[in-house]
Amino acid sequence: MQKEVVDSMAMKRALTRITYEIIEQNKGIRDVALVGIKTRGVYIAQRIAARLQQLEAATIPVGELDITAFRDDQPLTVAMAPVAYQLDFDVAGKQVILVDDVLFTGRTIRAALDALMGGGRPQSISLAVLVDRGHRELPIRADFIGKNIPTALQERIKVSVTEVDGHDGIEIIN
Amino acid sequence: MADRYLILEDGSAYLGEGFGSPAVSTGEIVFNTSMTGYQEIITNQIYHNQIIAFTQPTIGSYGINHDSYESILPTVKGVVVRDVASISTNRQRRWSLDQYLKQQNIPGISHIDTRHLAKQLRASGPMKASIVDVADAHAFDQLGATVLTNRQVAAVATPKPYPNPDTGLNVIVIDFGLKHGILRELSKRSCNVTVLPYTATTEEIINLDPDGVVLSTGPGKPQDLPESVLTMIQNIQNRIPLFAIGLGHELFAMANGAQIMKLSPEHHGANHPIREVITNQIIYASQGQGYAVNPETIDRNKLITTFVDLIDGTIQGLRYRDFPAFSVQFFPDGAPGPTETRDIFDEFVESMQQARGPVW
Repeated sequence: MQKEVVDSMAMKRALTRITYEIIEQNKGIRDVALVGIKTRGVYIAQRIAARLQQLEAATIPVGELDITAFRDDQPLTVAMAPVAYQLDFDVAGKQVILVDDVLFTGRTIRAALDALMGGGRPQSISLAVLVDRGHRELPIRADFIGKNIPTALQERIKVSVTEVDGHDGIEIIN
Repeated sequence: MADRYLILEDGSAYLGEGFGSPAVSTGEIVFNTSMTGYQEIITNQIYHNQIIAFTQPTIGSYGINHDSYESILPTVKGVVVRDVASISTNRQRRWSLDQYLKQQNIPGISHIDTRHLAKQLRASGPMKASIVDVADAHAFDQLGATVLTNRQVAAVATPKPYPNPDTGLNVIVIDFGLKHGILRELSKRSCNVTVLPYTATTEEIINLDPDGVVLSTGPGKPQDLPESVLTMIQNIQNRIPLFAIGLGHELFAMANGAQIMKLSPEHHGANHPIREVITNQIIYASQGQGYAVNPETIDRNKLITTFVDLIDGTIQGLRYRDFPAFSVQFFPDGAPGPTETRDIFDEFVESMQQARGPVW
């Protein structure tokens, strides 16, 4: 069974609010860089960057991280392999905002942190997610949350973005 | 119907036909370009002590409806139209416009060349006007001698707190002469609303433990309000999510150092395209403003411009950089007019939820 819990309008608002919250917490956008986690995190990061650029008339670097190897459905041996540095800009001294669609166990984020740190010493790293669905297995929390959606463990959250799925929305599947 | 006159401060007179109340009345005349929504406009307290001229040629064609009031007792001083519809049909119709204006003791005048009048007012700006039976020297003397009050907010805002209970977030609405649409949209989102008079102090607000505060719409010039209102805004904006609308928006801007200027021509209608800066989307909204925030006086280290009017570039929305406090100049409740701006209320609710933290 699928149920849409966030429609495209609400998703747009969530991204808008996250953008304003980034400006609030970072006291502006100086040295801010966004890093999206593949696949959908990248598009979400790009949308947030576009919004920041509209407001502040400045270009924000947006990077992509692929941490497929660290997904929870991979065998442990694969998951232990180091992730190479993948960004085309230097994170040293940057206020990096890691962007993902769903925050669940926290394992993806841990892997992403490893990958980022490999590239230098960012001034800070914070986390923006479109959905926080709970059930953390690591001591990780998001700084910017689009929507808190309490879920049962066996349920799935499906985030759709126009760039990949043809429409925007968040569905809960059980 | 009897012949009546609309006379203006500059000496001009228009012959028309009276409808509604036969009273003689004086107020500041403004024109409104909305094609529908005359009931909401007439009952909106931002038009306190004003005479509204509608540029839409026929007014009254769907009567007065059950669910389109924006205040309990309208306080406009007159309604000027080209044609008043003698027959009105609507499923929810209760009265004709003529009957309603009689009940509320508001004079109306029809058969006025409202196109000519609007052009004249566009050039001159709002001025004093009267709806009278005889347009003689005495009537013009009376009009010239009338001094219009600048205490409009005190006249229409609630003097006492009152609740509009529900089970959701605690919202305080500071009443400067609110339109019901604000309460209606908060009700739809289950907000547990307490309306406080505009004289409410920071302490009174904080003691009610609100999740958010709304500064309402209202009539008149923001500079005419006491300084204590600005102090209250400065004290609460960094502690509680704040959403300011209309007059509230102007006060929010003033509290953060911006200056307010007289707008000419004024915006009264629902036909201005407005750009939402962050998404670059164009929206339409109903507007009723005689004043605007002077863009040159905005401290950009404090405020971000969030909405801009594309016809004259006036600021239509602001947001504080460091905390969730934001404002819009237009009426986001869509009563009357485009409803696409109603999701700004959702934005406000989501800001309050975020400030409270997750539910688990």
